[in-house]
Amino acid sequence: MTRINHNQVLAVILGLFSIVYLWMAFQIPTFPIPRPVDSDAFPKALGSAILLLSIFLFFEKAGEKTIEVEDKGHVGFSFTSPRMQVVVTSVGVLAYAFLIEPLGFVLASSLLMFLLAIYYGYRAWLTNLATTLGIVLSLYFVMTRAVGVHLPPGILPF
Amino acid sequence: MLPRKTWSLRSAATALTLSIAAVGLSSAALADWTPSKPVEYIAPANPGGGWDTLVRTTANTIRAEDLAPVNFAAINIPGGGGSVAWAQIARDEKNDHKLFATSPPIILVPLSGRSRFDHNDFTPIARLITDYSIVLVRADSPYQTINDLFDAMKENPSLSIGGGSAAGSMDHIAVAGAAGAAGLNAASVNYIAFSGGGEVMTNLRGGHIAAGVTGAGESSAQLEDGMLRALAVSSPERIHGPLADVPTYVEQGIDYTFDIWRGVMGPKGMSAEAVTYYQDLFARMQETDNWKESRDRLGWYDAYQNSEEFGKFLDEQYELFSSVLSDLGLLAN
Amino acid sequence: MFESFSSLMYGFSIALDPINLFYVFIGVFAGTIIGMLPGLGPISALALMIPITFSMDPSSGLILMAGVYYGAIFGGSTSSILLNAPGVAGTVATSFDGYPMARQGKAGKALAIAAYASFVGGTISVIGLMLIAPLLSKVAVSFGPPEYFALMILGLTAVVSLSDKSLVKGLIAAVFGMMVSIVGIDLQTGTERYTFNSLNMLDGIDFLVVALGVFALAEVFVMLLRGDDNKGEKRKAIGSLKLSGAEVKEIAGPVGRSSVLGFFIGVLPGAGATIGSFLGYSMEKRIAKDGDTFGKGNIKGVAAPEAANNAACGGSFVPLLTLGVPGSGTTAVLLGALLVMGVTPGPMMMETRPDVFWGVIASMYIGNVFLLALNLPFIPLIAKILDAPRPLLLAMILIFCMVGVYGMNFNIFDLVMLLVFGLIGLVMRLYGFPAAPMILGLILGALMEESMRRALQISGGDWSIFIDKPISLWLLVIALLSLTAPSLKKLYQKARTARA
Repeated sequence: MTRINHNQVLAVILGLFSIVYLWMAFQIPTFPIPRPVDSDAFPKALGSAILLLSIFLFFEKAGEKTIEVEDKGHVGFSFTSPRMQVVVTSVGVLAYAFLIEPLGFVLASSLLMFLLAIYYGYRAWLTNLATTLGIVLSLYFVMTRAVGVHLPPGILPF
Repeated sequence: MLPRKTWSLRSAATALTLSIAAVGLSSAALADWTPSKPVEYIAPANPGGGWDTLVRTTANTIRAEDLAPVNFAAINIPGGGGSVAWAQIARDEKNDHKLFATSPPIILVPLSGRSRFDHNDFTPIARLITDYSIVLVRADSPYQTINDLFDAMKENPSLSIGGGSAAGSMDHIAVAGAAGAAGLNAASVNYIAFSGGGEVMTNLRGGHIAAGVTGAGESSAQLEDGMLRALAVSSPERIHGPLADVPTYVEQGIDYTFDIWRGVMGPKGMSAEAVTYYQDLFARMQETDNWKESRDRLGWYDAYQNSEEFGKFLDEQYELFSSVLSDLGLLAN
Repeated sequence: MFESFSSLMYGFSIALDPINLFYVFIGVFAGTIIGMLPGLGPISALALMIPITFSMDPSSGLILMAGVYYGAIFGGSTSSILLNAPGVAGTVATSFDGYPMARQGKAGKALAIAAYASFVGGTISVIGLMLIAPLLSKVAVSFGPPEYFALMILGLTAVVSLSDKSLVKGLIAAVFGMMVSIVGIDLQTGTERYTFNSLNMLDGIDFLVVALGVFALAEVFVMLLRGDDNKGEKRKAIGSLKLSGAEVKEIAGPVGRSSVLGFFIGVLPGAGATIGSFLGYSMEKRIAKDGDTFGKGNIKGVAAPEAANNAACGGSFVPLLTLGVPGSGTTAVLLGALLVMGVTPGPMMMETRPDVFWGVIASMYIGNVFLLALNLPFIPLIAKILDAPRPLLLAMILIFCMVGVYGMNFNIFDLVMLLVFGLIGLVMRLYGFPAAPMILGLILGALMEESMRRALQISGGDWSIFIDKPISLWLLVIALLSLTAPSLKKLYQKARTARA
């Protein structure tokens, strides 16, 4: 087999990562008062360890991939292919992060949960809406009223 | 009404003192401002620490004594020894309904280069209390006085002194400053940073370190069982209560005092009326029995200063801490 | 012995006061709920209770707050098992085998085992507290920096047993976990490390953000990638709650051992439930004959960490009640609350406030019974969550994770970090890097570095401090043995077969 396996790809990435990490470790300033072990020692050791381990990894026999990606039935690009679902979910998490404060907890959470459930293929939108609101509202009221944790109300009045 | 323009004039500390002076002068005339909505009262740390205790105790007292028309809502914003909260509060200029607990880190953390914001970026409201730093050893330790300990440190610089905060912060400054005043090289103190006063106590009890430095208030219960001995406290005179037997540095010939003061500040540009209102509120609070009881229990000492005095005090503390930090070589440029 | 019995009776006379019974109940009930909500830990819940307890009698106040604390640890296993989303830090290890069990349709059994093990762990720790708390305070103070370093080394040897297929990948994961653990301000020097000049990174990366990312969010991604349900894996019977006699016998040993281990780890300030549960888990994995099925739904893998974390929770009251020193963030809040209520915890508290000391201990017996009685009937109900249609369930797990993470610090930066660690967790899953060693590195790394540097600073740079101290030396010897034991065993067996 002449093709490189995924362990070797990962080993190269990890090797590069460890070099950047080590470079940063060397930028850690020395403490003005001498210390037997200064702030930079441990990071240098960790960076070197990863560098060394990445070499071992490069020569390790690659096992099978542990997870079969299910992409039968998705020829070419598809918005609902499993890979695309991971991407869309990630974007959803990011969007949520930036919307939770302006929109408020209830609205942002309901929107995300409702839309994602539809996107993952849930058709019963009424049940979806009811469950979403039930869960989000009960979370909101348990947190804000019972536990007293302040969540952003956003544009809704409560 | 006092023109707000005084606040826009400020450039660094001089203008700040000016504007505070203006507040001080007109305080009597401006007593009519009251908060119109709940006051966000921020402890820039996790629950359980000194700032948190101050915020919760004062908020409780204000509520229990019905001193204010609105609620003082305690909020914890932990992170970076206070700098996360400071950055958030600094964004909220001119907010009259926001206060936060403060203490020496507001000066120390910026000096060591870990916060862009320092005491000049906020409005002093009042200094409330002070605690003192105390040096403890195990009861079976050979050191009977603070001078015994410092002499031994001269002989053997590797003697370990544990403290409950990071290098360059409060406990370190307290003990290094004292050592400096006693003629040692402040930087030679072998300070071991633990993550809290509790850890210092267990390590001291277990004999893992030669001495420990912590707040006097939290140490009084630790001295009860006779396992530990206090060598010196950083107050100007002996403190009363359970620690009355502990000699001061000054008594032992070391010209050194150190206050662990705590107070309240607000965002920059807080209106003069609000500042007056809050400083008077805290002054009234400190007269109540409820407060006196909590204060004694927590081992605090009243050290009230109004906004103007507190502002000047902060500038003096700034000078003091800069010089200790620069002796230690820890001053950020 | 008799003395502590009569003291305990005195404690019960306080704890059985109707109003205190009510507080125990409210405390453990609230604690269970808080524990189930991912992310929201006991610390913030307790802080919010300080104003409520302000005017209470101190023993009632502590009874209530202690109930919330151990109730949260008790309830924290639920979301670990059902959703792979640890509710509190101490229950991360429970998800290693609890979640696979739930996927195999044995959610009911996993939850029941967690409840029983928690009950036993909690009860054993209360007995320990009652009988030998003052003695244990000596153990707590005998651990200085060198001893902690040695303990961390011993803990890290578990990486070997936790990385199943490839040791190299397990080690990479562990080192990566340590790299994450040291982000932030270095306590010993005040220097920032790997913070990229961001304020949000000054205190490092929150443990639960990483755990929820690497476990729960990554699991959502994996489920998406696997596509619609699955091949052979029949969803989603909750299964029976009943344990067979053989199963009870099987978990009895792990529960007993892990309770004792967890309790001692809990006694040490700074260690606590998370480390206790990990050590319990990896100890049982090493001891068990079927150790290779750990991580695939072994009932012992649920029992051990659950017994350990609840016992550790009880153990953490030792330094608080006997020395007046908090061993963790949670007990620090308890200490603050006691101060506010007018009790100064200190080494004399047992004498000066026996009502608080014995009252809270007695209330823990009652609280543990309440918890068991509260939790068991609800298991079928709570486990129903798995019956939700898959798209809805996935969306729900996501929301739970994000609420939990946001609720910790109200910082959207944490949500971004959640995503980052979710994606890292996904890559790790795809290419066979085990997550457990990474979490182990994360919880032990910073503590190991700190204690090593403290020890060396105390000794003036002399490394012999680690072997001069007997406890430290012994821990290091055990660590060495546990690393070499498997190969020694092999050698021995080889020699025997050669002779035969």
